[in-house]
Amino acid sequence: MSDAAVQLDDLIVRAGRRTILSVDSLRLERGELVGLLGPNGAGKTTLLRCLLGLQWRVQGRVEVLGRPVGDLGSGGLAGLRRRIGYVPQILPARSEMPLTVREVVAIGRTGIAGLLRPLKGSDWRFVDEWIERLGLTSLAGQGFGEISGGEQRKTLIARAMVQHPELLLLDEPTANLDLGWRERIVRVIAELHRSLRLTVVLVCHELEVLPTCCGRVVVLDAGRVVADGRPDEVLSTERIGSLYGPGLAVVAASGRWAVVPGESAHA
Amino acid sequence: MLDLTFWAPVMAGGVLAGGSSGLLSVYIVGMRIPFLGVCVAHAALAGAVFGSLAGLEGSMLLIPALGGAAVTALSLGLADPRKLNMDANVIMGLLFSITMGLAFVGIGLFPVLGRSDNDVRSLLWGSLLYCRWSDVWLMLGASLALGLFVLAFGKEMRAILFSRADAQAAGIRATGVWTGFLILTAVLMTVNFQTVGGLMIYSLITNPAAAAFQLVKGNGRAIVLAIFFGAVSGLGGFLLSAVTDLPSGAVIVLLSALLVGVSAMFRVLLRRP
Repeated sequence: MSDAAVQLDDLIVRAGRRTILSVDSLRLERGELVGLLGPNGAGKTTLLRCLLGLQWRVQGRVEVLGRPVGDLGSGGLAGLRRRIGYVPQILPARSEMPLTVREVVAIGRTGIAGLLRPLKGSDWRFVDEWIERLGLTSLAGQGFGEISGGEQRKTLIARAMVQHPELLLLDEPTANLDLGWRERIVRVIAELHRSLRLTVVLVCHELEVLPTCCGRVVVLDAGRVVADGRPDEVLSTERIGSLYGPGLAVVAASGRWAVVPGESAHA
Repeated sequence: MLDLTFWAPVMAGGVLAGGSSGLLSVYIVGMRIPFLGVCVAHAALAGAVFGSLAGLEGSMLLIPALGGAAVTALSLGLADPRKLNMDANVIMGLLFSITMGLAFVGIGLFPVLGRSDNDVRSLLWGSLLYCRWSDVWLMLGASLALGLFVLAFGKEMRAILFSRADAQAAGIRATGVWTGFLILTAVLMTVNFQTVGGLMIYSLITNPAAAAFQLVKGNGRAIVLAIFFGAVSGLGGFLLSAVTDLPSGAVIVLLSALLVGVSAMFRVLLRRP
């Protein structure tokens, strides 16, 4: 049993005859904040689903928080998932049921509390603490469908955090958000990692989303790991060009990264 | 003047059928599966048909009807829309077509065997006006079972309502809880169909929640209000029909729809500056 947060060996995922993910070996240590980059269809979300045991037709070994995902029964998988906070890429379709922000955050305590046990006062206090910590207090009683996209993302982060996770998986947490909201979410992620020493896997295809405390970037392309290392080693203009096409340059400032049109870009 | 003693079981049936359907409506509307009522009705019919062909009669036909409805609900609960690459409503449509086909194949066998299908045809198309105390106790039992389930698994149901996929990813036993809920729903609906009829139930598994969602936020308040609206529709509709001498089922349906309209107007008026 590995003491790493994540250990993948000979991982292959197929969809029909097509291989959509193929990872020879990948190890993520506890306490790391790892950026997982790649173009659309690179296999980033598929990799997260493998970690959660939600992907089918998986070959190879997937070990998460010391547990072999492929060998777990339904009960074991449910137990492992409770230790993992997951913020999905796609926000749930607006539900007909007008759940409040507080109720949505409380969903994160549901699995922890267990079947046939109601949420206790201590659970709700934990929920309220995270609502306050993420600046959602004024929205707690509002319908989830009535708040902005950025506020919904923060709600889902709070939902993941009330699980008191050992591993946090964030799938494009700033998708479809404006610059202001993107920066707020990035700051929240950085603060959570710094204060709690959480292991974080942050999926994104924009370099701007990587916080300054991101110490490692793994790049996926066509289902394969094509680069793995420190941001300054991995995020080169040549690499970004090979992933996203020519005419792009990587810029670094104050520990943050961005992609801008390069010298050879079209006017 | 209405003889309240004589009509007491009818009024109790109206309140129970309406209230329990109102509770169901929160989840049926919340999960966007209003077609569930039609699907369950035909599954129950198929069960009753084959029970009758096997020799069961009268009220005993409720058992295979419940069996047919429960098996269909079990299939629906265990079917994973992602794995099947089908929306839940499409899966329901498929189950409906299978059970409807089976039911009518079975009905077609009655004349071939020289038997009457009256028992089957009347089983699932009851009328509130013929509701007896024995029917009320049956509905009460089914309603209590569902109510206890919602109380016991309310937080899981809330998570499933928000997103079944996210609930599973958070380590909640979503499939088991949802399947259990669907089976109890199928049982309750089948009991209600044969006591008060499908016309009333089809509308009361959607309209009360549609009205409640216009007025309140939060799972708990929505449930309480939907149960209230369902009970008001069931009882109020019967009393209105008694006064106006109009068909009770139709009045109940229209009253429940009126409540949706009034709630929507209320919501608009409350939000005006």
